[in-house]
Order: sequence, then C-alpha cells, then structure tokens
Amino acid sequence: MTTPIDSTPATNSTTTPPRRPTSADVELLGFAQSAELAARDLYRRAIEAGSGDEQLPSLVALAAHHDAYAQAISATIGTAAPQARNEELFVALQARFGRNTTQTAQAAHELENRLVVTHRSLLENLDGTEGSALVASIMITEARHAVALATIAGLSPVTDSDAFLVTTDLAPLSPAVPS
Amino acid sequence: MNNSNQHPINDIGNVNATANVNDNVIGEDNGTSIPTSFNVTPFSTEFREDRELRQTWSRLARATQGINPDAAMRATVSRRRFLLAGGATVSFGALLAACGGGSESTGIARIGNSPEPNELPDGDVTDVVLLRTATSLEYNAIFVYQAVASAGLLSGDTASLAAKFLSDHQAHAEATAQLTQDLGGRAFEKPNPRLQSIYVEPALALITGDNASGIPPTEDPVADVLALAYALETLAGATYQAYVPLLNDKALRAAAMGIGQQEARHAAVIGSLVNPSRLVSSFGLSIPAEYREETDVPGPAYAVPSAFGTQSPIPVTLGAPNESGTRTTVSLETPSLNSMVYEYLDS
Repeated sequence: MTTPIDSTPATNSTTTPPRRPTSADVELLGFAQSAELAARDLYRRAIEAGSGDEQLPSLVALAAHHDAYAQAISATIGTAAPQARNEELFVALQARFGRNTTQTAQAAHELENRLVVTHRSLLENLDGTEGSALVASIMITEARHAVALATIAGLSPVTDSDAFLVTTDLAPLSPAVPS
Repeated sequence: MNNSNQHPINDIGNVNATANVNDNVIGEDNGTSIPTSFNVTPFSTEFREDRELRQTWSRLARATQGINPDAAMRATVSRRRFLLAGGATVSFGALLAACGGGSESTGIARIGNSPEPNELPDGDVTDVVLLRTATSLEYNAIFVYQAVASAGLLSGDTASLAAKFLSDHQAHAEATAQLTQDLGGRAFEKPNPRLQSIYVEPALALITGDNASGIPPTEDPVADVLALAYALETLAGATYQAYVPLLNDKALRAAAMGIGQQEARHAAVIGSLVNPSRLVSSFGLSIPAEYREETDVPGPAYAVPSAFGTQSPIPVTLGAPNESGTRTTVSLETPSLNSMVYEYLDS
C-alpha cells in the first residue's frame, strides 16, 4: 500500500494501518455492539408480540443476525465489549416494533438503514483493519436487511426504488462519529 | 531419554523412537532425536528396521489422516543414502554452474544459451490499483446490463430494474474513476479484461447462445439473466468489502463500502424477486428448528443469504441443459492478484 490519502489527497504516507483495534477503535466498536444488541432486542420484542406473519422465519433470522454481530464484536474487542444494548435506541423505537408486521417492517427498515449509515461513519474513523473488516461484513448484510424489510413492508423496488437502494437524509447514530 | 530399552512412540514428532538407548544420537532433545544407527541384533535385519519404521509411519499416517505408509516408507531416506544423494546434488549443481555462460552473467545458472529474462513489472497492490480494479468491475456490470438490454432479454419491471442498476453502475464507475484520479492515478475505464474473459463472456454465451461454439441459447433467459445479475451484484459487493482491510486510507474504506452496500442492495432486490417466499436464509444460524428451511442448504438467491458478507465463490447455473440434463455452473470469485488492474497494464 503506497498511495494513501488522509482527507487531503496530496499526502503520500506509506504508513501501514494497524491490524488490531486501537483504544479509540475499541470504544467505537463497543458502541456498535450496543446498537446491534438494541436491534436484536427490538426484533425479539416484535416476534414475541406476534409480528411476522408468513415472514416470521425471516424476522427470527434477522434477530439472530444482530445477535451474531454483537458476538463477533465481542470476539474482536474482548472484555472491553459493553455486552449491553443501547437503551436510548431501544426505547426510541420499541413502540414501533409490535404486532403489526407492516409497521414493524417499516420501523426495522429505517433502523437497518440507520445502522448502515452508522457503520459507514465508523469506517471513516476506525484505524485497525480487523475492526474495519468486521464492520464492513456487517454493513453489507444490513443493507440487504433493509431491502428485505422494504419488501415485507409491501413496497415495490420499481416504484419505490429509493426505499430499497438509498440511505439519503439519515444521520448516523451518535457517538459513531467521535467529537 | 528414559531408562527403558526402547522408547514408546507417544507423539508424532518421535519418529525414530524405537531406537535403542545405546544408539548414537544427534541433537538429543524433547523426544525428536535422530539416531545415527539402528540397534543390531541377530534378527535385526533391514526387514526389522523396515517393519519398525513401517509401524512408526502407520501411526504417523493415522495421526495425520490418510498418509499412505508405503508411500511414506519409500520417501524415507537412510543416513547413508542421504549423504550419497547430497553428494550427487552437489556434483550436479557444479555441472549446472559450469554451464552458466560467461563471467558477466549474474543470473541463475542454466543449461545452454538462452536470452536474459525480462524483468517483471512492478505489481504492488496500492490503493490506486484497488480503485482501478473496482472501476473495471463496474464496467463488467455495465457491459452485462447493456448486452441484456440490447438483446431484449428482459421486459416490464425487470427491464426497469435492470436500467436502474445500469445507471447506478455508471455512477459508481465515475465515482471510483474520480477517486483514482484524486490519488494521482490513471482511471481504468474498461471492463476487467480477465474477469470479462473467464466469467462475463462465457456466461452471456450460455444465455444468448453461440453458434460458432455450438452453444444453444438458454431455455429460460429471464431466469438466467436474473441469476447472473444476482451473482455479479453479489460479487461486486463482496469485492468492495474485501478491499476494506486492504485500503490504507480510512476515507476510501468508507467510500468503497458506500458503493459496496448499494451493490448488495441490487443483489437483494433480485433475490426478493426470485425467492419472495423466504427472504432471509436461516443457513448457519442458531435458531429454533421451526424457523429453518427444510433443506438447510444455501438456496439459489436469497435477499439475505447469510449473516455476514462473505468472500466465498458465488456459483451461478446457466444455459440450456446438455444431453444428460446437466446445466453449466460458473463460479465467480472476487478479483485476486492476477485479475487486479495494475498501472503497468496501461503501458
């Protein structure tokens, strides 16, 4: 790697990025884990309330995915992982994760898009390649989650293509971007 | 060494552990000592030596799962044979050196006269090379969607979606080309030559048919185009994901995944059309049995095929069945070192 830029394209540093998460990375990845645990608990809440209909197995799988992300982050940052959900995020959305499958899918669609934007912000700030690679592998599947949920919500990829393909107008969850 | 007459074989490293304790041993340490001679008794013939070695190799084979003891025995070289072989190697090396040409030669010794090899070009995988390769992949996708449109293989909603995806890939190509130039590199605004020849053109030939090669067109072009598009979009997303730990610049990692996640969305939209009854695969998940698919085998095209983005090959089955009813499966893989678009390719 010999052509990095760091915000300013003119620089030509040859510094190799660290593999393991830095202390700043650990903090960001810990935040990501708390967001994933909140997402898992929101899906579980909707499933327990009777949401899902014929796509119930898909909702169960989505909850399992977010649990897997939290576990993978634990494996990366070890005992520094908070192992607790982001309570602020959970409380803000819990009312929309209920029995009605369409409403749940709409809320979950928004949540997944928000997580995608958040993970992209994390990538701009993570130094270590291990943490970055993990976040990328989570982010790319959460983008697929958003498409699946738009479908469950009854939207059309032809007439509602933005709901399937773009994440504009969404801000990342704070503090994914450190001040 | 212990005080018994013979060492039991307790581990893989102790190959010659049946040697007598009185044997001369080189480098005695931690049970891996090499005896310089084997115990000679009235019945300690080469047969016995072979039998003991064969037993040793049998244990080794079991430990290492499937090594053929006979083959291993043939590979066993006695110390004397080893020294003889070493001498022969030295002599042959001297012969080669003598044939190495004039005193001005600095290359390796070789037999006869041959031209000096050309120096290989510099093939460093830099951020610029990764971006150029990404642009080339976008042009592979553009080529496919344009070919499908030209052939009129899709209609209605699927044609509208294909047109939207084509437009997105053109935007991605412009973005990655601009990033390449921002880094001082030259953008590569053509399809990836290697992926075009090993994946794209053969796959399209299986769909549209190729009279010259005797390939008939597929019986279901819409299904095959969707299958190919799903695989290509998944490949594109996986490529950007694979680039994240390779890119030095954090801003570039985020930019790459901004595009990569959209490629994944393209694939997911196609998956939701192909497999609408089950959008999220349960493959590999620890969930109750009642929520699993019947086969628990990865399906052809889920909107969400797995929990994490993977780098595994992406199989896609295309074309008309042959006389035995079998269709061709092409396995797409993310660009490796021999399909990167290095800067020297421009010269």
